[in-house]
Amino acid sequence: MGLLSILRKLKSTPDQEVRILLLGLDNAGKTTLLKQLASEDISHITPTQGFNIKSVQSQGFKLNVWDIGGQRKIRPYWRNYFENTDILIYVIDSADRKRFEETGQELAELLDEEKLSGVPVLIFANKQDLLTAAPASEIAEGLNLHTIRDRVWQIQSCSALSGEGVQIKDASPARLCSPEGKDDGEAKFSKGTAGSVASSPCSSSEGLVWGLVSSSACRGIFHPSRRFDGEVSSLALGER
Amino acid sequence: MKHFLRMFVQVCLYFYCKCLWRCLKFVVRKLTGRCELQRICYNTKPGAARTMKIEASLKGSKSKRLQTSVSVHPDAIEKTIDDIMELKRINPDINPQLGVSLQACLLQIVGYRNLVAEVEKLRREPYDSENPQHEEMLLKLWKCLKPNSPLKARISKQWCEIGFQGDDPKTDFRGMGLLGLYNLVYFAEWDTGIAQQVLSDSLQPKYSQFNKAEWEKKKFDKAIGYSFAIVGINITDLAYNLLVSGALKTHFYNVAPEAPTLTHFQQTFCYLMHEFHKFWIEEDPLDIMEFNRVREKFHKRILKQLQNPEMALCPHFAASESLINM
Repeated sequence: MGLLSILRKLKSTPDQEVRILLLGLDNAGKTTLLKQLASEDISHITPTQGFNIKSVQSQGFKLNVWDIGGQRKIRPYWRNYFENTDILIYVIDSADRKRFEETGQELAELLDEEKLSGVPVLIFANKQDLLTAAPASEIAEGLNLHTIRDRVWQIQSCSALSGEGVQIKDASPARLCSPEGKDDGEAKFSKGTAGSVASSPCSSSEGLVWGLVSSSACRGIFHPSRRFDGEVSSLALGER
Repeated sequence: MKHFLRMFVQVCLYFYCKCLWRCLKFVVRKLTGRCELQRICYNTKPGAARTMKIEASLKGSKSKRLQTSVSVHPDAIEKTIDDIMELKRINPDINPQLGVSLQACLLQIVGYRNLVAEVEKLRREPYDSENPQHEEMLLKLWKCLKPNSPLKARISKQWCEIGFQGDDPKTDFRGMGLLGLYNLVYFAEWDTGIAQQVLSDSLQPKYSQFNKAEWEKKKFDKAIGYSFAIVGINITDLAYNLLVSGALKTHFYNVAPEAPTLTHFQQTFCYLMHEFHKFWIEEDPLDIMEFNRVREKFHKRILKQLQNPEMALCPHFAASESLINM
Protein backbone atom coordinates (compact mmCIF):
# COMPACT_ATOMS: atom_id res chain seq x y z
CA MET A 1 0.00 0.00 0.00
CA GLY A 2 1.02 3.53 -0.48
CA LEU A 3 0.49 6.52 -2.59
CA LEU A 4 2.18 5.09 -5.63
CA SER A 5 0.04 2.02 -5.70
CA ILE A 6 -3.09 4.07 -5.27
CA LEU A 7 -1.98 6.21 -8.11
CA ARG A 8 -1.44 3.21 -10.34
CA LYS A 9 -4.86 1.95 -9.44
CA LEU A 10 -6.33 5.31 -10.28
CA LYS A 11 -4.40 5.72 -13.48
CA SER A 12 -5.37 2.37 -14.87
CA THR A 13 -9.03 3.22 -14.52
CA PRO A 14 -9.72 6.81 -15.46
CA ASP A 15 -12.90 8.47 -14.17
CA GLN A 16 -12.32 6.65 -10.95
CA GLU A 17 -13.98 8.07 -7.92
CA VAL A 18 -11.73 9.09 -5.05
CA ARG A 19 -13.13 9.22 -1.55
CA ILE A 20 -11.50 11.91 0.53
CA LEU A 21 -12.19 12.26 4.23
CA LEU A 22 -11.75 15.68 5.80
CA LEU A 23 -11.23 15.66 9.56
CA GLY A 24 -9.89 17.94 12.26
CA LEU A 25 -10.97 19.83 15.38
CA ASP A 26 -13.85 22.29 15.31
CA ASN A 27 -12.94 25.68 13.85
CA ALA A 28 -9.97 24.18 11.99
CA GLY A 29 -11.40 25.26 8.64
CA LYS A 30 -12.66 21.99 7.15
CA THR A 31 -15.84 23.37 5.65
CA THR A 32 -14.05 26.42 4.26
CA LEU A 33 -11.53 24.07 2.68
CA LEU A 34 -14.33 21.96 1.24
CA LYS A 35 -16.01 25.00 -0.27
CA GLN A 36 -12.69 26.21 -1.65
CA LEU A 37 -12.13 22.86 -3.31
CA ALA A 38 -15.56 23.12 -4.89
CA SER A 39 -14.94 26.79 -5.82
CA GLU A 40 -17.95 27.93 -3.82
CA ASP A 41 -18.59 31.06 -1.82
CA ILE A 42 -16.92 30.85 1.58
CA SER A 43 -18.43 33.90 3.27
CA HIS A 44 -21.48 32.18 4.75
CA ILE A 45 -19.91 29.27 6.58
CA THR A 46 -21.63 28.06 9.73
CA PRO A 47 -20.39 25.47 12.24
CA THR A 48 -21.05 22.00 10.87
CA GLN A 49 -23.68 19.94 12.57
CA GLY A 50 -23.28 16.47 11.17
CA PHE A 51 -21.41 16.47 7.89
CA ASN A 52 -21.18 17.99 4.43
CA ILE A 53 -20.34 16.22 1.22
CA LYS A 54 -19.30 17.60 -2.15
CA SER A 55 -18.27 16.00 -5.36
CA VAL A 56 -15.59 17.80 -7.30
CA GLN A 57 -14.60 16.89 -10.82
CA SER A 58 -10.94 17.37 -11.46
CA GLN A 59 -8.68 16.12 -14.20
CA GLY A 60 -10.81 13.11 -14.95
CA PHE A 61 -11.17 12.20 -11.30
CA LYS A 62 -14.33 12.50 -9.32
CA LEU A 63 -13.41 13.53 -5.83
CA ASN A 64 -16.04 12.80 -3.23
CA VAL A 65 -15.05 14.92 -0.29
CA TRP A 66 -16.63 14.20 3.09
CA ASP A 67 -16.37 16.96 5.65
CA ILE A 68 -17.35 15.77 9.12
CA GLY A 69 -18.01 18.17 11.98
CA GLY A 70 -15.12 18.49 14.44
CA GLN A 71 -17.04 19.35 17.58
CA ARG A 72 -16.09 17.05 20.44
CA LYS A 73 -19.62 15.67 20.57
CA ILE A 74 -19.46 14.61 16.96
CA ARG A 75 -15.99 13.08 16.97
CA PRO A 76 -17.25 9.62 18.05
CA TYR A 77 -19.09 9.52 14.72
CA TRP A 78 -15.93 9.97 12.66
CA ARG A 79 -15.38 6.22 12.60
CA ASN A 80 -18.60 5.70 10.67
CA TYR A 81 -16.98 7.36 7.69
CA PHE A 82 -13.62 5.55 7.63
CA GLU A 83 -14.58 2.77 5.27
CA ASN A 84 -13.15 2.92 1.73
CA THR A 85 -11.34 6.17 2.34
CA ASP A 86 -8.67 6.78 -0.30
CA ILE A 87 -7.09 9.86 1.20
CA LEU A 88 -7.38 11.37 4.66
CA ILE A 89 -7.02 15.11 4.93
CA TYR A 90 -6.43 16.34 8.45
CA VAL A 91 -6.88 20.06 8.98
CA ILE A 92 -5.15 21.95 11.78
CA ASP A 93 -5.74 25.54 12.88
CA SER A 94 -2.11 26.66 12.98
CA ALA A 95 -2.98 29.65 15.12
CA ASP A 96 -4.78 27.69 17.82
CA ARG A 97 -1.65 26.73 19.76
CA LYS A 98 -3.60 25.95 22.89
CA ARG A 99 -5.16 22.96 21.21
CA PHE A 100 -2.11 21.56 19.39
CA GLU A 101 -1.98 18.79 21.95
CA GLU A 102 -5.63 17.93 21.50
CA THR A 103 -5.37 17.93 17.73
CA GLY A 104 -2.24 15.78 17.95
CA GLN A 105 -4.05 13.24 20.08
CA GLU A 106 -6.97 13.06 17.69
CA LEU A 107 -4.60 12.58 14.76
CA ALA A 108 -2.66 9.88 16.57
CA GLU A 109 -5.91 8.06 17.29
CA LEU A 110 -6.92 8.29 13.66
CA LEU A 111 -3.59 6.89 12.51
CA ASP A 112 -4.07 3.96 14.86
CA GLU A 113 -7.45 3.11 13.39
CA GLU A 114 -7.46 -0.21 11.65
CA LYS A 115 -9.86 0.91 8.97
CA LEU A 116 -7.54 3.77 8.05
CA SER A 117 -4.35 1.77 8.03
CA GLY A 118 -2.16 2.60 5.09
CA VAL A 119 -4.42 5.42 3.96
CA PRO A 120 -2.28 8.35 2.80
CA VAL A 121 -2.67 11.38 5.03
CA LEU A 122 -2.34 14.97 3.96
CA ILE A 123 -2.13 17.43 6.82
CA PHE A 124 -3.12 20.99 6.14
CA ALA A 125 -1.49 23.54 8.42
CA ASN A 126 -4.35 25.95 7.86
CA LYS A 127 -4.82 29.66 8.63
CA GLN A 128 -1.35 30.67 7.54
CA ASP A 129 -2.87 34.05 6.73
CA LEU A 130 -2.94 34.78 10.48
CA LEU A 131 0.12 36.38 11.97
CA THR A 132 0.07 34.07 14.96
CA ALA A 133 0.05 30.91 12.85
CA ALA A 134 2.73 28.37 13.59
CA PRO A 135 4.76 27.31 10.54
CA ALA A 136 4.15 23.86 9.17
CA SER A 137 7.65 22.74 10.18
CA GLU A 138 6.91 23.50 13.82
CA ILE A 139 3.62 21.61 13.66
CA ALA A 140 5.25 18.66 11.95
CA GLU A 141 7.78 18.48 14.72
CA GLY A 142 5.21 18.92 17.45
CA LEU A 143 3.10 16.13 16.04
CA ASN A 144 6.11 13.85 15.57
CA LEU A 145 5.09 13.29 12.01
CA HIS A 146 8.49 11.87 11.18
CA THR A 147 7.63 8.79 13.19
CA ILE A 148 4.91 7.85 10.72
CA ARG A 149 6.24 4.83 8.85
CA ASP A 150 3.20 2.95 7.75
CA ARG A 151 1.78 5.31 5.20
CA VAL A 152 2.46 8.13 2.82
CA TRP A 153 2.05 11.52 4.41
CA GLN A 154 2.59 15.15 3.72
CA ILE A 155 2.11 18.38 5.63
CA GLN A 156 1.15 21.45 3.72
CA SER A 157 0.80 25.11 4.68
CA CYS A 158 -2.36 26.68 3.43
CA SER A 159 -4.96 29.32 3.96
CA ALA A 160 -8.43 28.02 3.18
CA LEU A 161 -9.67 31.59 3.52
CA SER A 162 -7.52 32.99 0.72
CA GLY A 163 -7.35 29.73 -1.17
CA GLU A 164 -3.58 29.76 -1.01
CA GLY A 165 -2.31 26.23 -1.13
CA VAL A 166 -5.73 24.70 -1.64
CA GLN A 167 -7.26 24.98 -5.08
CA ILE A 168 -7.25 22.05 -7.43
CA LYS A 169 -8.67 23.91 -10.36
CA ASP A 170 -5.42 25.29 -11.68
CA ALA A 171 -3.32 22.31 -10.85
CA SER A 172 -0.70 21.75 -13.43
CA PRO A 173 1.24 18.56 -12.86
CA ALA A 174 3.78 19.67 -15.40
CA ARG A 175 4.78 22.55 -13.25
CA LEU A 176 4.59 20.52 -10.09
CA CYS A 177 7.25 18.31 -11.45
CA SER A 178 9.23 20.81 -13.38
CA PRO A 179 12.83 20.83 -12.30
CA GLU A 180 13.28 24.63 -12.48
CA GLY A 181 11.50 25.40 -9.28
CA LYS A 182 13.01 22.53 -7.46
CA ASP A 183 15.98 24.21 -5.92
CA ASP A 184 13.74 26.53 -4.10
CA GLY A 185 11.51 23.71 -3.01
CA GLU A 186 14.29 21.48 -1.92
CA ALA A 187 15.84 24.13 0.19
CA LYS A 188 12.63 24.13 2.13
CA PHE A 189 12.72 20.45 2.82
CA SER A 190 13.33 19.42 6.30
CA LYS A 191 15.71 16.69 5.52
CA GLY A 192 15.46 15.03 8.85
CA THR A 193 11.71 14.52 8.93
CA ALA A 194 11.88 10.87 8.16
CA GLY A 195 14.33 8.34 7.04
CA SER A 196 12.38 7.97 3.89
CA VAL A 197 11.75 11.48 2.75
CA ALA A 198 11.77 11.46 -0.97
CA SER A 199 14.28 13.93 -2.27
CA SER A 200 11.97 14.84 -5.07
CA PRO A 201 8.45 14.69 -3.80
CA CYS A 202 6.82 15.11 -7.12
CA SER A 203 8.02 12.76 -9.73
CA SER A 204 5.52 12.99 -12.51
CA SER A 205 3.22 10.34 -11.15
CA GLU A 206 3.28 11.31 -7.50
CA GLY A 207 2.81 14.91 -8.42
CA LEU A 208 -0.49 14.09 -9.92
CA VAL A 209 -1.84 12.46 -6.83
CA TRP A 210 -0.99 15.23 -4.45
CA GLY A 211 -1.75 17.52 -7.31
CA LEU A 212 -5.26 16.21 -7.22
CA VAL A 213 -5.61 17.05 -3.64
CA SER A 214 -3.29 19.87 -2.98
CA SER A 215 -2.20 21.02 -6.40
CA SER A 216 -1.23 24.60 -5.93
CA ALA A 217 -0.21 23.58 -2.48
CA CYS A 218 2.71 21.92 -4.12
CA ARG A 219 2.97 24.82 -6.45
CA GLY A 220 3.47 26.95 -3.40
CA ILE A 221 6.66 25.06 -2.83
CA PHE A 222 7.88 25.00 -6.34
CA HIS A 223 6.83 28.41 -7.36
CA PRO A 224 8.89 30.93 -5.46
CA SER A 225 6.33 33.72 -5.81
CA ARG A 226 3.62 31.83 -3.97
CA ARG A 227 5.13 30.37 -0.89
CA PHE A 228 4.70 30.61 2.80
CA ASP A 229 7.78 30.71 4.89
CA GLY A 230 8.80 27.64 6.70
CA GLU A 231 7.01 25.24 4.48
CA VAL A 232 7.62 21.58 4.95
CA SER A 233 6.79 19.12 2.31
CA SER A 234 7.81 15.61 2.68
CA LEU A 235 6.62 12.59 0.93
CA ALA A 236 7.48 9.72 3.08
CA LEU A 237 7.12 6.43 1.38
CA GLY A 238 6.77 4.03 4.21
CA GLU A 239 7.29 0.82 2.37
CA ARG A 240 9.85 1.40 -0.22
CA MET B 1 -24.59 26.81 -35.71
CA LYS B 2 -27.54 24.84 -34.42
CA HIS B 3 -26.93 26.27 -31.00
CA PHE B 4 -26.74 29.78 -32.39
CA LEU B 5 -30.01 29.35 -34.26
CA ARG B 6 -31.76 28.09 -31.18
CA MET B 7 -30.56 31.06 -29.23
CA PHE B 8 -31.59 33.41 -31.98
CA VAL B 9 -35.08 31.96 -31.98
CA GLN B 10 -35.26 32.33 -28.22
CA VAL B 11 -34.22 35.96 -28.39
CA CYS B 12 -36.81 36.66 -31.08
CA LEU B 13 -39.45 34.88 -29.05
CA TYR B 14 -38.56 36.96 -26.03
CA PHE B 15 -38.96 40.23 -27.86
CA TYR B 16 -42.12 39.00 -29.55
CA CYS B 17 -43.67 38.12 -26.20
CA LYS B 18 -42.56 41.40 -24.69
CA CYS B 19 -44.10 43.27 -27.60
CA LEU B 20 -47.29 41.24 -27.35
CA TRP B 21 -47.48 41.95 -23.61
CA ARG B 22 -47.09 45.67 -24.16
CA CYS B 23 -49.80 45.66 -26.84
CA LEU B 24 -52.09 43.71 -24.55
CA LYS B 25 -51.47 46.18 -21.73
CA PHE B 26 -52.14 49.06 -24.10
CA VAL B 27 -55.45 47.55 -25.27
CA VAL B 28 -56.61 46.76 -21.73
CA ARG B 29 -55.66 50.23 -20.64
CA LYS B 30 -57.74 51.76 -23.45
CA LEU B 31 -60.67 49.47 -22.69
CA THR B 32 -60.78 49.91 -18.92
CA GLY B 33 -59.34 53.39 -18.76
CA ARG B 34 -57.01 52.23 -15.99
CA CYS B 35 -53.26 51.66 -15.98
CA GLU B 36 -51.67 48.43 -14.74
CA LEU B 37 -50.95 49.79 -11.27
CA GLN B 38 -54.58 50.81 -10.88
CA ARG B 39 -55.84 47.47 -12.09
CA ILE B 40 -53.62 45.63 -9.60
CA CYS B 41 -54.77 47.80 -6.71
CA TYR B 42 -58.45 47.40 -7.60
CA ASN B 43 -58.39 43.69 -8.36
CA THR B 44 -55.98 42.28 -5.81
CA LYS B 45 -56.41 42.00 -2.07
CA PRO B 46 -53.90 43.97 0.00
CA GLY B 47 -50.95 41.97 1.28
CA ALA B 48 -48.23 39.97 -0.40
CA ALA B 49 -50.25 39.21 -3.53
CA ARG B 50 -50.77 42.89 -4.28
CA THR B 51 -47.37 44.18 -3.21
CA MET B 52 -45.53 41.54 -5.22
CA LYS B 53 -47.53 42.33 -8.35
CA ILE B 54 -46.92 46.04 -7.91
CA GLU B 55 -43.21 45.34 -7.42
CA ALA B 56 -43.04 43.27 -10.60
CA SER B 57 -44.99 45.89 -12.53
CA LEU B 58 -42.73 48.73 -11.38
CA LYS B 59 -39.54 46.79 -12.07
CA GLY B 60 -40.72 45.76 -15.52
CA SER B 61 -41.89 49.23 -16.46
CA LYS B 62 -40.35 50.95 -19.44
CA SER B 63 -40.18 54.21 -17.54
CA LYS B 64 -36.93 54.85 -15.66
CA ARG B 65 -38.77 56.74 -12.96
CA LEU B 66 -40.97 53.76 -12.18
CA GLN B 67 -38.08 51.33 -12.30
CA THR B 68 -36.06 53.30 -9.77
CA SER B 69 -39.04 53.89 -7.49
CA VAL B 70 -38.49 50.52 -5.79
CA SER B 71 -35.15 51.68 -4.44
CA VAL B 72 -35.91 55.19 -3.24
CA HIS B 73 -35.26 56.40 0.29
CA PRO B 74 -38.29 55.81 2.59
CA ASP B 75 -38.63 59.57 3.12
CA ALA B 76 -38.98 60.16 -0.61
CA ILE B 77 -41.89 57.77 -1.07
CA GLU B 78 -44.64 60.40 -1.01
CA LYS B 79 -42.88 62.41 -3.63
CA THR B 80 -42.40 59.29 -5.73
CA ILE B 81 -46.11 58.47 -5.52
CA ASP B 82 -46.93 61.97 -6.76
CA ASP B 83 -44.52 61.49 -9.64
CA ILE B 84 -46.05 58.16 -10.58
CA MET B 85 -49.57 59.59 -10.48
CA GLU B 86 -48.49 62.45 -12.68
CA LEU B 87 -46.62 60.21 -15.08
CA LYS B 88 -49.59 57.88 -15.40
CA ARG B 89 -51.96 60.86 -15.65
CA ILE B 90 -54.09 59.69 -12.74
CA ASN B 91 -56.16 62.34 -11.02
CA PRO B 92 -55.60 61.91 -7.25
CA ASP B 93 -58.94 63.60 -6.49
CA ILE B 94 -60.90 61.00 -8.43
CA ASN B 95 -58.76 58.08 -7.19
CA PRO B 96 -57.86 58.95 -3.61
CA GLN B 97 -57.55 55.32 -2.60
CA LEU B 98 -54.90 54.53 -5.21
CA GLY B 99 -52.25 56.81 -3.77
CA VAL B 100 -52.70 55.32 -0.31
CA SER B 101 -52.56 51.76 -1.60
CA LEU B 102 -49.50 52.45 -3.72
CA GLN B 103 -47.78 54.12 -0.83
CA ALA B 104 -48.39 51.12 1.43
CA CYS B 105 -46.96 48.80 -1.22
CA LEU B 106 -43.94 50.96 -1.85
CA LEU B 107 -43.21 51.26 1.85
CA GLN B 108 -43.08 47.48 2.07
CA ILE B 109 -40.97 47.09 -1.06
CA VAL B 110 -38.45 49.70 0.00
CA GLY B 111 -38.52 48.43 3.57
CA TYR B 112 -37.67 44.91 2.49
CA ARG B 113 -34.69 46.13 0.51
CA ASN B 114 -33.45 48.14 3.45
CA LEU B 115 -33.93 45.19 5.75
CA VAL B 116 -31.77 43.03 3.49
CA ALA B 117 -29.04 45.68 3.69
CA GLU B 118 -29.35 45.96 7.47
CA VAL B 119 -29.21 42.21 7.99
CA GLU B 120 -26.26 41.90 5.63
CA LYS B 121 -24.39 44.56 7.59
CA LEU B 122 -24.93 42.70 10.85
CA ARG B 123 -23.89 39.43 9.27
CA ARG B 124 -20.68 40.96 7.99
CA GLU B 125 -19.68 42.27 11.38
CA PRO B 126 -17.62 39.53 12.98
CA TYR B 127 -17.96 38.75 16.66
CA ASP B 128 -15.20 40.59 18.47
CA SER B 129 -14.34 39.50 22.01
CA GLU B 130 -12.57 42.84 22.57
CA ASN B 131 -15.82 44.70 22.06
CA PRO B 132 -17.63 45.11 25.42
CA GLN B 133 -21.03 45.37 23.70
CA HIS B 134 -20.57 42.04 21.99
CA GLU B 135 -19.40 40.45 25.21
CA GLU B 136 -22.35 41.86 27.08
CA MET B 137 -24.78 40.35 24.60
CA LEU B 138 -23.10 36.98 24.83
CA LEU B 139 -23.38 36.99 28.62
CA LYS B 140 -27.00 38.08 28.31
CA LEU B 141 -27.66 35.03 26.16
CA TRP B 142 -26.36 32.86 28.95
CA LYS B 143 -28.42 34.63 31.60
CA CYS B 144 -31.63 34.30 29.63
CA LEU B 145 -31.15 30.63 28.86
CA LYS B 146 -29.67 29.57 32.18
CA PRO B 147 -31.01 32.00 34.78
CA ASN B 148 -30.39 29.56 37.63
CA SER B 149 -26.82 28.59 36.94
CA PRO B 150 -24.33 31.44 36.75
CA LEU B 151 -21.44 31.26 34.33
CA LYS B 152 -18.29 30.52 36.30
CA ALA B 153 -15.85 32.09 33.86
CA ARG B 154 -15.98 33.80 30.51
CA ILE B 155 -14.01 30.94 29.00
CA SER B 156 -15.60 27.81 30.30
CA LYS B 157 -16.79 24.39 29.27
CA GLN B 158 -20.23 25.52 30.44
CA TRP B 159 -20.85 27.10 27.03
CA CYS B 160 -21.32 23.58 25.70
CA GLU B 161 -24.41 23.29 27.88
CA ILE B 162 -26.23 25.75 25.65
CA GLY B 163 -24.84 24.16 22.53
CA PHE B 164 -21.67 25.99 21.62
CA GLN B 165 -18.83 23.84 20.34
CA GLY B 166 -16.08 24.61 22.79
CA ASP B 167 -15.17 26.73 25.78
CA ASP B 168 -15.28 30.05 23.92
CA PRO B 169 -18.27 30.80 21.69
CA LYS B 170 -16.46 33.56 19.79
CA THR B 171 -15.27 31.20 17.06
CA ASP B 172 -18.71 29.70 16.50
CA PHE B 173 -20.42 32.67 14.89
CA ARG B 174 -18.27 32.44 11.74
CA GLY B 175 -20.00 33.57 8.57
CA MET B 176 -23.13 34.71 10.38
CA GLY B 177 -21.24 37.22 12.53
CA LEU B 178 -23.27 39.33 14.91
CA LEU B 179 -26.50 38.34 13.20
CA GLY B 180 -26.27 34.89 14.76
CA LEU B 181 -25.80 36.35 18.23
CA TYR B 182 -28.57 38.95 17.78
CA ASN B 183 -31.01 36.25 16.74
CA LEU B 184 -30.15 33.93 19.58
CA VAL B 185 -30.38 36.70 22.15
CA TYR B 186 -33.72 37.86 20.76
CA PHE B 187 -35.07 34.33 20.91
CA ALA B 188 -33.86 33.84 24.49
CA GLU B 189 -35.02 37.24 25.64
CA TRP B 190 -38.47 37.59 24.04
CA ASP B 191 -39.52 33.99 23.63
CA THR B 192 -37.79 32.80 26.80
CA GLY B 193 -40.20 30.01 27.65
CA ILE B 194 -40.00 28.37 24.26
CA ALA B 195 -36.26 28.95 23.96
CA GLN B 196 -35.60 27.24 27.27
CA GLN B 197 -37.92 24.42 26.35
CA VAL B 198 -36.23 23.90 22.99
CA LEU B 199 -32.83 24.01 24.69
CA SER B 200 -33.74 21.41 27.26
CA ASP B 201 -35.34 19.16 24.61
CA SER B 202 -32.34 19.53 22.36
CA LEU B 203 -30.09 18.14 25.06
CA GLN B 204 -31.89 14.82 25.20
CA PRO B 205 -34.88 14.61 22.90
CA LYS B 206 -34.86 10.86 22.69
CA TYR B 207 -34.03 9.92 26.21
CA SER B 208 -37.61 8.98 26.99
CA GLN B 209 -37.61 6.38 24.25
CA PHE B 210 -34.82 4.35 25.77
CA ASN B 211 -34.63 2.60 29.06
CA LYS B 212 -31.50 3.32 30.99
CA ALA B 213 -29.58 0.19 30.03
CA GLU B 214 -30.24 0.69 26.36
CA TRP B 215 -29.27 4.31 26.65
CA GLU B 216 -25.94 3.41 28.18
CA LYS B 217 -25.32 0.66 25.69
CA LYS B 218 -25.77 3.07 22.82
CA LYS B 219 -23.24 5.45 24.37
CA PHE B 220 -24.89 8.19 22.40
CA ASP B 221 -25.89 10.06 25.51
CA LYS B 222 -24.12 13.21 24.50
CA ALA B 223 -24.61 13.24 20.79
CA ILE B 224 -28.17 12.20 20.29
CA GLY B 225 -29.66 15.65 20.55
CA TYR B 226 -28.43 18.69 18.71
CA SER B 227 -26.40 21.69 19.81
CA PHE B 228 -28.85 24.49 20.49
CA ALA B 229 -26.59 27.47 19.78
CA ILE B 230 -24.93 25.91 16.74
CA VAL B 231 -28.30 24.97 15.30
CA GLY B 232 -29.42 28.54 16.03
CA ILE B 233 -26.53 29.82 13.94
CA ASN B 234 -27.41 27.37 11.17
CA ILE B 235 -31.07 28.42 11.29
CA THR B 236 -29.88 32.03 11.11
CA ASP B 237 -28.19 31.04 7.87
CA LEU B 238 -31.45 29.53 6.68
CA ALA B 239 -33.45 32.65 7.57
CA TYR B 240 -30.79 34.82 5.94
CA ASN B 241 -30.99 32.79 2.74
CA LEU B 242 -34.78 33.02 2.70
CA LEU B 243 -34.53 36.77 3.13
CA VAL B 244 -31.86 37.41 0.52
CA SER B 245 -33.45 35.14 -2.08
CA GLY B 246 -36.68 37.11 -1.69
CA ALA B 247 -38.65 34.08 -0.49
CA LEU B 248 -39.59 35.88 2.72
CA LYS B 249 -41.37 38.63 0.77
CA THR B 250 -44.67 36.76 0.97
CA HIS B 251 -44.38 36.54 4.71
CA PHE B 252 -43.20 40.09 5.37
CA TYR B 253 -45.63 41.73 2.96
CA ASN B 254 -48.41 39.91 4.78
CA VAL B 255 -47.36 40.63 8.34
CA ALA B 256 -45.69 44.03 8.14
CA PRO B 257 -48.26 46.60 7.04
CA GLU B 258 -45.54 49.19 6.82
CA ALA B 259 -41.85 48.49 6.32
CA PRO B 260 -40.55 45.15 7.63
CA THR B 261 -37.89 45.72 10.28
CA LEU B 262 -35.12 43.80 11.99
CA THR B 263 -37.60 42.85 14.70
CA HIS B 264 -39.78 41.16 12.10
CA PHE B 265 -36.75 39.23 10.92
CA GLN B 266 -35.88 38.16 14.45
CA GLN B 267 -39.45 37.07 15.12
CA THR B 268 -39.27 35.02 11.96
CA PHE B 269 -36.11 33.46 13.31
CA CYS B 270 -37.87 32.52 16.55
CA TYR B 271 -40.67 30.96 14.56
CA LEU B 272 -38.19 29.01 12.40
CA MET B 273 -36.31 27.76 15.47
CA HIS B 274 -39.49 26.51 17.06
CA GLU B 275 -40.74 24.97 13.83
CA PHE B 276 -37.40 23.34 13.14
CA HIS B 277 -37.42 21.82 16.57
CA LYS B 278 -40.85 20.33 16.02
CA PHE B 279 -39.77 19.15 12.58
CA TRP B 280 -36.65 17.52 14.02
CA ILE B 281 -38.72 15.55 16.53
CA GLU B 282 -41.22 14.63 13.82
CA GLU B 283 -38.46 13.43 11.50
CA ASP B 284 -37.02 11.37 14.33
CA PRO B 285 -33.48 11.22 12.95
CA LEU B 286 -31.15 8.50 14.15
CA ASP B 287 -28.48 10.94 15.25
CA ILE B 288 -26.99 14.38 14.75
CA MET B 289 -25.24 13.29 11.54
CA GLU B 290 -28.58 13.61 9.80
CA PHE B 291 -28.77 17.30 10.59
CA ASN B 292 -28.06 18.61 7.10
CA ARG B 293 -30.57 16.24 5.53
CA VAL B 294 -33.28 17.34 7.94
CA ARG B 295 -32.31 20.98 7.53
CA GLU B 296 -32.56 20.70 3.75
CA LYS B 297 -35.96 19.08 3.98
CA PHE B 298 -37.13 21.76 6.37
CA HIS B 299 -35.83 24.48 4.05
CA LYS B 300 -37.79 23.00 1.15
CA ARG B 301 -40.92 22.80 3.23
CA ILE B 302 -40.70 26.45 4.27
CA LEU B 303 -39.98 27.50 0.68
CA LYS B 304 -43.05 25.62 -0.47
CA GLN B 305 -45.18 27.28 2.18
CA LEU B 306 -43.89 30.68 1.14
CA GLN B 307 -45.00 30.14 -2.44
CA ASN B 308 -48.55 30.61 -1.28
CA PRO B 309 -49.16 34.39 -1.41
CA GLU B 310 -51.50 34.16 1.59
CA MET B 311 -48.75 32.69 3.72
CA ALA B 312 -47.61 34.32 6.95
CA LEU B 313 -45.07 32.34 8.92
CA CYS B 314 -45.88 33.73 12.33
CA PRO B 315 -49.62 34.15 12.66
CA HIS B 316 -49.40 35.39 16.23
CA PHE B 317 -48.20 38.79 15.17
CA ALA B 318 -50.07 39.17 11.91
CA ALA B 319 -50.97 42.70 10.96
CA SER B 320 -54.17 44.12 12.29
CA GLU B 321 -57.15 44.17 9.93
CA SER B 322 -57.51 47.91 9.77
CA LEU B 323 -53.98 48.44 8.53
CA ILE B 324 -54.17 45.67 5.98
CA ASN B 325 -57.29 47.23 4.49
CA MET B 326 -55.44 50.35 3.53
